[in-house]
Amino acid sequence: MASIKEIRTHIKSVEQTLKITNAMYLISSSNLRKARKQLNDVEPYFQKIESTLSDILHHSEEINHRFFDKRPEIPPEKRKVGYIVVAGDKGLAGAYNHNILKLAEEKMAGCANPSLFVVGQAGRSYSQEHGIPIDVEFLYTAQDPNVGRARDIAELMMDLYLEGQLDEVYILFTKMINTFRMEPTVHRLLPLERDSFPVYEKNRDCYNRDVVYIPSVKAVMDRLVPGYIKGDIFGALVESYCSEQNARMTAMKSSSDNARAMLQNLNLSYNRARQAAITQEITEVVGGAQAAL
Amino acid sequence: MAGENTFYLEIITPERQFYIGPAEALVLPAVDGQMGVYPGHEPAVTAVEPGELRYKAEGKWEPAAVGAGFAEIKPDYVILLVGFAEHPEEIDRKRAEAAKERAEERLRQKQSIHEYYHSKAALARAMARLKARR
Repeated sequence: MASIKEIRTHIKSVEQTLKITNAMYLISSSNLRKARKQLNDVEPYFQKIESTLSDILHHSEEINHRFFDKRPEIPPEKRKVGYIVVAGDKGLAGAYNHNILKLAEEKMAGCANPSLFVVGQAGRSYSQEHGIPIDVEFLYTAQDPNVGRARDIAELMMDLYLEGQLDEVYILFTKMINTFRMEPTVHRLLPLERDSFPVYEKNRDCYNRDVVYIPSVKAVMDRLVPGYIKGDIFGALVESYCSEQNARMTAMKSSSDNARAMLQNLNLSYNRARQAAITQEITEVVGGAQAAL
Repeated sequence: MAGENTFYLEIITPERQFYIGPAEALVLPAVDGQMGVYPGHEPAVTAVEPGELRYKAEGKWEPAAVGAGFAEIKPDYVILLVGFAEHPEEIDRKRAEAAKERAEERLRQKQSIHEYYHSKAALARAMARLKARR
């Protein structure tokens, strides 16, 4: 059996860890509440923008626009594909960072010319440790997602796409399906493709007429697509942030529970060791007294 | 969904669902000027500029400031997806004025093309708010 002193230091260290994990649990649960509210507010917009764009595209003829250019003339081995990976800023969130980065590695392995844009410090340091080249200028935090950040990312991606430095752009983020299930997801940002949009509520109206674009297809698409991409990125950021807080909360809750269980066991063995020491002392005293008689 | 003389109007922003319900008419700031929509409009898609929007619900015209976005128009419903939408009473006049001055100040500086567009957009937002607030 370990000595009393050893057990006592062990108890102390577990108590310290418990304090940290418990505090992190509380912080992430309050952050989660905020993030959940934001997600609930954003979600209708996010879904609406997708279903509306899908509806518009399904109601118009083939669109000739620079954001819809799939560049079929570039062979697969020469295509430059950009991946935006939304990871967390910190670790200690269970498998959250690991899952999304694994998906990113998987995707990059199947592509000839990948470039990686990582949101979040944890993802960046992981990539640097594993020698994965990333865009070092792309410095965005995963905390408190806001529209301004989504706009900056969207503008950067659209510039790279239009300049021909990227032929395809994907965003990888963690989708929160429910409190217990979070799924790393891939979403294509550019180029837009009509067939990649699911047909929401097929034929929800009886107007099988094509829509007219006022004043012109180009003018509308020039404004609509950046808005859509910005909304898409914002939605992904919010969804990821919410997932991160949720993952951290679950991880910290289970580690706090483990620490409590450990403390109970340690207290038990501490008491046992103390009792044994006392018994031994009494035996020694009694033995000494008897010998003196 | 909507009666004879009304259409279903949805104004949605990333922050909230601004208005969902029946409307009798709508005037929105389109790319090339104000655009009016009545029930039975032909299917159309248009881009929305920052500016003042009005919709008529239950016989009353309701003004609002909106940001950039787009609108999908169908004979019996209209969906507006915009950057922001605010009732006039929600707009802080002082804040909007300060934002306008800030944007004008920034436009005078030398800046990159992106910064220029951001300042222009900020100015347009402030002007839209001020216009709706009056």
